[in-house]
Amino acid sequence: MLQDILVTGLVNGGVYALLAIGFSLIFGVARIVNIAHTAFYMLAAYCFYTLLVKTGLGFVLSGLLSVGAVTLFSVVCYRLVIEPVREHEAAVLIATIALALVFQELMLYTFGGHFLGIPSTLEGSVRFLGVSIPYQRLLILVVAGASLVLVWFVLYRTRLGLAIRATANDLEVANLMGMNVHRVAMATVAISVALAAVAGVVVAPVFVVDPFMWLAPLVTMLAIVVLGGLGSMKGSLIGALIIGYVEAITVFAVPAGAYLKGAVALLIMVIVLLARPEGLFGVAFEEER
Amino acid sequence: MYWLRRAWAELRNEIFVLPSRTLVLIWVVALLALPFVYGDAYVMRILTMTCIFAIFAASWDLLAGYTGQVNFGHALFFGAGAYTSALLSLKLGLSPWLTIFAGAAVALLFGFLVGYLCLRLRGSYLSLATLAFPLIALGLLFAFPDFSGGELGVSGLRRLVLTPTGNYYLAAISMLVIVFGLWLVADSKFGIVLHAIRDDEVAARASGINTLRYKMTVFAIAGAAAGFAGALFAHYLRVAGPSALEVALSFQVVIWGIFGGVATIYGPVAAVFLLYPLTEWLGSFPAVGELRLLIFAVIVLLVLLFMPRGLTPWVRDKIETQCPRCKQRNAAWKSVCRLCGATLQAQVPGAQRFVGHQ
Amino acid sequence: MLRTLIAAPCLALAALGFATAAQAQTIKIAILGPMAFVQGENHWAGAEMARDEINKAGGIKVGGKTMRIELVRADTNEIASVPDATNAIERVITRDKVDFLIGGFRSEAVLAMQEVAMDYKKIFLGVGAAHSKLGLNVEQNYERYKYWFRVAPTKDVDLARTLFAVMGSIGQQIRTELKTDSPKVAILAEKAVWTEALVAAAQKNLPAMKMEVVGTWQPSATATDVTAELSAIDRAGAHIVFTMLSGPVGISVGRQMGERNMKAVAWGINVEGQKEEFWQAAAGKAQFVSTLDTYSEVEMTPKTIPFVQAFKQRYKKAPTYTAATYDAIMLLKAVIEQEGTTNADKLVAAIEKIEHVGTGSTASWDKRHDLNWAVGKTAGIAVQWQDGKKVPFWPPNIKGMQPFKMPAR
Repeated sequence: MLQDILVTGLVNGGVYALLAIGFSLIFGVARIVNIAHTAFYMLAAYCFYTLLVKTGLGFVLSGLLSVGAVTLFSVVCYRLVIEPVREHEAAVLIATIALALVFQELMLYTFGGHFLGIPSTLEGSVRFLGVSIPYQRLLILVVAGASLVLVWFVLYRTRLGLAIRATANDLEVANLMGMNVHRVAMATVAISVALAAVAGVVVAPVFVVDPFMWLAPLVTMLAIVVLGGLGSMKGSLIGALIIGYVEAITVFAVPAGAYLKGAVALLIMVIVLLARPEGLFGVAFEEER
Repeated sequence: MYWLRRAWAELRNEIFVLPSRTLVLIWVVALLALPFVYGDAYVMRILTMTCIFAIFAASWDLLAGYTGQVNFGHALFFGAGAYTSALLSLKLGLSPWLTIFAGAAVALLFGFLVGYLCLRLRGSYLSLATLAFPLIALGLLFAFPDFSGGELGVSGLRRLVLTPTGNYYLAAISMLVIVFGLWLVADSKFGIVLHAIRDDEVAARASGINTLRYKMTVFAIAGAAAGFAGALFAHYLRVAGPSALEVALSFQVVIWGIFGGVATIYGPVAAVFLLYPLTEWLGSFPAVGELRLLIFAVIVLLVLLFMPRGLTPWVRDKIETQCPRCKQRNAAWKSVCRLCGATLQAQVPGAQRFVGHQ
Repeated sequence: MLRTLIAAPCLALAALGFATAAQAQTIKIAILGPMAFVQGENHWAGAEMARDEINKAGGIKVGGKTMRIELVRADTNEIASVPDATNAIERVITRDKVDFLIGGFRSEAVLAMQEVAMDYKKIFLGVGAAHSKLGLNVEQNYERYKYWFRVAPTKDVDLARTLFAVMGSIGQQIRTELKTDSPKVAILAEKAVWTEALVAAAQKNLPAMKMEVVGTWQPSATATDVTAELSAIDRAGAHIVFTMLSGPVGISVGRQMGERNMKAVAWGINVEGQKEEFWQAAAGKAQFVSTLDTYSEVEMTPKTIPFVQAFKQRYKKAPTYTAATYDAIMLLKAVIEQEGTTNADKLVAAIEKIEHVGTGSTASWDKRHDLNWAVGKTAGIAVQWQDGKKVPFWPPNIKGMQPFKMPAR
């Protein structure tokens, strides 16, 4: 059972990490709580489904096209809907909720309420430490790892990344220093949603696709990001692993209580917040007041 | 006779001078007179639900708008009130008239609890932590299905009043009383302290205000009001189920609150009265019905683009102006302030025509 | 100008006259269901087929005159919101002035809708919600709740009886094919009130049926990942996975069992597994998943095969159990013509005594206005997914049944 927990926790944690990092990035930089983050993940999954199953393009091509399309779409949404209300935090909040609802209803209308299955990119499974892991989940882990490395590279080794970090640190001074704050914000949105879209393409085959699939990951992802500390990549990664393991332990140790894994994860988050109000690695921004 | 003349004087001098107050008066009268004009049971059902949700939304505004504690899990109090009232009236056979207050009391306790847990949390951390509480509560309810009825909830509850009209008046009068009460709380010295806590909690504490006590009190008051709404809801539908605790309901009240205008109390109430019947009405057309949530979301988005502070502040700005000298409100078409006589029109630069929080 | 002034009111009056005349000639039936989802779609489809068939034959004979059927489509949106459902039912009763109500799916919502229907004393035929409480209300307060009848499915506790009947036959097949005395059963039931009694019954009855229960796992109804549960079930060496699943977790189970090449076979209730889209939703992996079901091209009753074929031809997919709105409307036709009236009280008495041959069942009602359970009459059928098709395999004596298959070992 221990191996089951170790492996399942790691794999699930990888899935959550992919979602959480994008969200953490956009919050840390643009201070936007993007409730529609997992809705973009859903859009990418549907896009992937359409391209793969209805049009019959290959996995790689469908995947790349889906990620590209959704990222572009997100930038458009940002310009049209979020940017005009950037200063009013409350308005941004419900703008993203409304956006997520719009996506949900559009998918409901176009595809109907039933569940769709996306064929796995990789079939078959491998035995590791006596536990059978499907290749698709290994793919998810690999992609999550690669995305993390890529994001780290962009943030810490490129000029754009420098601009992003500077804007996150102090918006006004960055503006004074000549960085185009709007462009930086758009780039951040694009990167963040691209990560969510990649998650949609890679993770959706493992789960079922339906118009309401954005709600459950949203809650878990919020729990992870809050647990790890908003705005901290390291925190989100560690938070994802923690929550992944907590859920695995709940299911294996208490089979009749498997349905509680969501509630237990949230409970852990609340407990951590009580002890450390900014999350494990969160940075309390002074200007927040 | 004296009272009549006094009432008339009050009306003329206090209420009719301002368009916003006149609108409120008209709305109250319309609400109370509705069953005489249009006795349709369906319409009364919609408006009863609207009144219940209006209480819910107003309580959220007190918490989130005035005190800045943006609560993403307000449905916890709603559900607590609903389940408590349902279980007490069903299992112990108590009269619903008693149990709705018990429901509000239990929700008040939940308010204290959540307030206590969230004392050190700020901003988005607070919002996301509060999101978790109803979900944890749901997990607990599912873990004890014999007690809570699991995913079916508690059913077979007794109605408070038997006729649709009676229920309507119960909901409408409760709403008027509670919303007015919340508004009085917000408009008092207590409310000013809440504003201070929202704007700068550290400064408030430095001024000697015990912000912890204020925050917990506000959570409790908001919780009690929401719990009362939940109890009314349960007894009206005769079922108290997990739908009273779901995330969608919490999101819904956030949308109503911000759409209507935070920190106003009447803003979210107006939002509920506009949006809920609208979505219901849209839902009754077979072709459009399935798209109603989409249309609702699009309306919200569009309104946000043009009125980012919410609907009611925008409307108030259009119909009223603030006097530059005495800072009191006047109808927009007046040229001279009704209280101090200063001129109101073009000389005043555009920026100063904003109506402040009142 | 004057002519318009005179013509307009005349036309209006004439139209009103036509409308009232037309009103008087139709029986209005409201079909309530979550129209954006498969359950609601089937509610409406079954009802449409019944309406078209009846109206084409002239209508329903009520005493001396013949009345046509008019359907009112009401989207209850019950899966997302219970108040929306109660609003919808009140609307169709007070605004659209319907005579009968059919449908419902989510038990929590149907309980609330039942209250509204009983307030107005309208006959409400349930097609979709299985919870016993709906029938219990009838027993405890007959005068108020007598207008409720459940046309489909059988109540939840009777589902258990069917499950064990089939379980016995599968167990026997395992004993012969695998030469093992007591087949191992893993219970995989979603955590929900409706499974509580079933799980308890399984834990008690299976050992008595000489089958060993190796464990009970209870994921959430919306769980999308059951690898943990399946790993543990694999370890326990189960032969049968006894499923009690109504939510999307059923799809995940089917798919992940296939992906892991599990040797165990899944039998039980898998509501998602009853739908045509299941094979695609499970990405073609759900081979050998079996579940309780209602409609298949077998001769359950003489009407089943023609109905299923006509349904497939018209809607391009097979019906699910909520298409039993067809049976509900045909039942109404039968009792109305028998009694010669649309008076609710008289019809209630008639339904209580009648045995109605429908398309999914041969139905009769007990004192709770629930279906009387009987194999071959109301117990339904069992189907198994083989190579992308739902193959019926139980009850074995009905024409059209095929053998049950198990994964190769």
